[in-house]
Amino acid sequence: MIELQKIYKWHNNGNNRVFLLKDINLTVEEGAFISIMGPSGSGKSTLLNIIGMLDGPSEGSYRFLGQDVFNIKEKQRSQLYKENIGFVFQAYHLIDELTVYENIETPLLYQNIKSAERQAIVADMLDRFQIVGKKDLFPAQLSGGQQQLVGIARALVAKPKLLLADEPTGNLNSKQGEEIMQLFKQINEEDGVTIIQVTHSEKNAAYGKRIIELLDGRIEKK
Amino acid sequence: MLQTFFKTTLRTLWKNKTYSAMNIFGLAIGIACAGLIFLWVEDEVNYDMVNTKKDRVYLVRENQQYEAGIFTHSSTPGLLAPAIQADIPGIINTCRKSEGNTSYLFSIGDKTMYAEGCFAEPSLFSIFTIPFVQGSATTAFTQLYSIVITEKTAKKFFGNTPDVLGKTVRMDNQQDYVVTGVVKDFPANTSMQFEWVVPFEIYFQRSPWLHRWGNNSLSTYVELGEHASVASVNKQLSGYLKKKDPESITQLFLFGLKNWHLYDQFENGKPTGGGRVTYIRLFSAIAWIILLIACINFMNLATARSEKRAREVGVRKVMGAGKGWLVLQFIGEALFMTLLASFVAVLLISLLLPAFNTLVQKQLIAGFDNPLHVGSLVLITVICGLVAGSYPALYLSSFNPVFVLKGLKTKNSSVAFIRKGLVIVQFSISIILIISTVIVYQQIQHVKTRDLGFDKAHLLELQIQGEMGKNFSVFKQDLLATGAVENVAISDHTTIDGGNNTSGFTWEGKPANNKVLVSTRGVSPEFLPTSGMQLVEGRNLALSDTARGHLNVMVTESLTKLMGKGSAIGKSLHYEGDTTQAVIVGVVKDYVYGNMYGKSDPVLFTALPLRYASVMYIRMKAQTDPANALAQIAAVMKKDNSVYPFQYRFVDDRFNQKFLAEMLVSKLSRIFAALAILISCLGLFGLAAYTAERRTKEIGIRKVLGASVGSITGLLSTDFIKPVLISALIAYPLAWWGMNQWLQAYPYRITISWWVFLFAGAGAMFIALVTISFQSIKAALANPVKSLRTE
Repeated sequence: MIELQKIYKWHNNGNNRVFLLKDINLTVEEGAFISIMGPSGSGKSTLLNIIGMLDGPSEGSYRFLGQDVFNIKEKQRSQLYKENIGFVFQAYHLIDELTVYENIETPLLYQNIKSAERQAIVADMLDRFQIVGKKDLFPAQLSGGQQQLVGIARALVAKPKLLLADEPTGNLNSKQGEEIMQLFKQINEEDGVTIIQVTHSEKNAAYGKRIIELLDGRIEKK
Repeated sequence: MLQTFFKTTLRTLWKNKTYSAMNIFGLAIGIACAGLIFLWVEDEVNYDMVNTKKDRVYLVRENQQYEAGIFTHSSTPGLLAPAIQADIPGIINTCRKSEGNTSYLFSIGDKTMYAEGCFAEPSLFSIFTIPFVQGSATTAFTQLYSIVITEKTAKKFFGNTPDVLGKTVRMDNQQDYVVTGVVKDFPANTSMQFEWVVPFEIYFQRSPWLHRWGNNSLSTYVELGEHASVASVNKQLSGYLKKKDPESITQLFLFGLKNWHLYDQFENGKPTGGGRVTYIRLFSAIAWIILLIACINFMNLATARSEKRAREVGVRKVMGAGKGWLVLQFIGEALFMTLLASFVAVLLISLLLPAFNTLVQKQLIAGFDNPLHVGSLVLITVICGLVAGSYPALYLSSFNPVFVLKGLKTKNSSVAFIRKGLVIVQFSISIILIISTVIVYQQIQHVKTRDLGFDKAHLLELQIQGEMGKNFSVFKQDLLATGAVENVAISDHTTIDGGNNTSGFTWEGKPANNKVLVSTRGVSPEFLPTSGMQLVEGRNLALSDTARGHLNVMVTESLTKLMGKGSAIGKSLHYEGDTTQAVIVGVVKDYVYGNMYGKSDPVLFTALPLRYASVMYIRMKAQTDPANALAQIAAVMKKDNSVYPFQYRFVDDRFNQKFLAEMLVSKLSRIFAALAILISCLGLFGLAAYTAERRTKEIGIRKVLGASVGSITGLLSTDFIKPVLISALIAYPLAWWGMNQWLQAYPYRITISWWVFLFAGAGAMFIALVTISFQSIKAALANPVKSLRTE
């Protein structure tokens, strides 16, 4: 599903070239559950952003579902992204002005899905995450765990093949974190959604089927 | 999609109430201003357009070649109209009409009242669109002593009597006229206005001068055939008078109805393309500028707030929103805001229209049911929304989600640059407006306080009615007897307006082909002391100076200068074709008449035979209470001239009326300058709030390190002083250039003084500082512990 070859990412700081990623080679099969670990500044988020097509590498090639991501047209890439990738953030990043329902509905709007169909999908999602009773609340009225639940529901509403999570439990207490991890596991196993998460916690990393360690922009060989 | 969009927009607006209110209010003021100005412009542009033959109706005008240049006017000989209609193909109809309107006393039964009207040929009703309510155009002037009145006049004369045809009115206490027609009232924006009209034939018979080619004293209107060419008619007209009168220095030309109101300015015999249209252009420009300022506000506030929305943009992008979507969303929001603003503007317009009408002396109607008005409003709204929304939309939608979601500050110096640039544009405009306002005001004051050469205060002007001229000595005696009157005089023309003039005078040593336009005024001997004009040399006129054979005259100083060196007393003037010599016995100081901004032509005064008087001047004693004096004068008039109700005008009121157009410009520019500044300040206020918020942490740290409230306020304020200074530098040359251009139109004008610029700059700076300081002080007073914790 994902093939990264010789990915480099740097930025120029004066005369120095600061490397964020160095020679990353990674293959991810469909249905995988990968945890990326590493100390701060090791390039975890940068790698996740490149996989999520939010950022481009300075060098290297990236194939996603057989397509050369950075050598296709912007429009095609955007389409590829919209249909296949969902994002979950540490800080939830819900839109404050939208209700729970509307937050979850938003990705569908950008895919031009008809109103009736949207309603059905969102209702389904609310049901599945057991937040039907909260659908008219605003993010500020929810606890952190609930907000992240909405964030995940939003990431999954467009039925992506790949879910990317950047420290999804970073702002949560351990009990809430565990619930979210259970949810991830369930999504991975029951729906076959490929998951790549960045995490600091060994315990959470253990939910993944495979762990990748990053250090100074390189994948640590074990 | 739309529904969600509206919901989000409304919630965003509601969440940021102050910001939204500032934005909407700023835009609303802008739109309301523009709306009012465009209503005025519409009225002006539609002037005279009710006439169905507007493309084919012309006024005959004259270009006369004088030493000083070409004098363009619209007085024509009485014999002209029938002659050109017969001689020049293409002219299918003509109409002669007495110039302007004259006020006469009308008696209906035992009721008397004044009404203004004119003498015109019956073709008036077919050339101009004047619909009859009673009677008809064809039968109106079949009898000599017929009168046609407007509906309003009918009401004035006869009250609510429905059918007034066949009723009789007595004009000037002399002749009875039969009402033969009632026409619809004229819209306010037409050149043709009268309360009554009577056949031209009456005027023609009693005015011997109208039967000569050399005299110009009435208006000639011409209707061309559908396919006639104006150019070819003009070609034949040009030298037409020369054929009739070899002495003539006049070229005739046609002046189209559509240009009468707006393009009535001539220089060297050619239309300048200017006139009232200048004001229309000026105010339309101001309307757009105010809208621009309001839009700039919007852009500034929107981009200033961008950090708050950056996260939303990032999230939406991550969720699959393309740039196009986001641009649409933000422009949509801007459009929604302008829509709300235009609702507020509609409210403002309805509230302000009566005041605006008083200001511009019109009866404008908002007409929100008029498709044109609604369409324009929608158009303005959409244009504003697009202009205001475009930059923020492009800017916001270009955020990189990776950066903004990490919570990194969008350090974009180009945006700060643009934002400062926008503030500079706003303040440059404001400073230009302040400077213009002050200079326009100065110029008007300059002219108003100019030495006119006569004393306009406490001077009363009465139109001669009934026996006031013939029995002048009785009136004079009775008026002086009241004790409230210092002196009384009569004249054949008003003192501050133009009047008869001629180029027919010659004198010894005058070059043969040198034509000098001289105004002639007939006055009674009391005129000099009454008007307050000064005799420089020689003596005042006496009644006997007008005796046939030896005519003695007074002239103004400027004429004596033309007549060569040495005292003018004793020199004589010749009038063309007249053998009489006029000997100069007195020289009067030059005085200003006609164009108050200009240098008036020389004047020749003759002693006036009492029966030719048309104006009486009464100088009231300065120390007497004017109301009391007026009452006493009224009592004398009632006694000596019982038929005619007492009517008077103060000369200084008449003088002030000469500045109506300039006063309007002055007032409007003052109002618009204030509004432009107000809107700019709204924007500045928002920007200052944003800057203070953005620098909360910095302020907190500085305070912890020991900075005082004063130093922090200063720190935050200096940020805004620079743009205002730059605005001043941009505004100064532009304002100087613009005002210098404007002043060129006035021969008598001020020189622009540097302190006006300094004042405008300092004023703008002060207003900006006051606006900013509110936010700066608030930020400086904030508790640092709190601000550091929230960061």
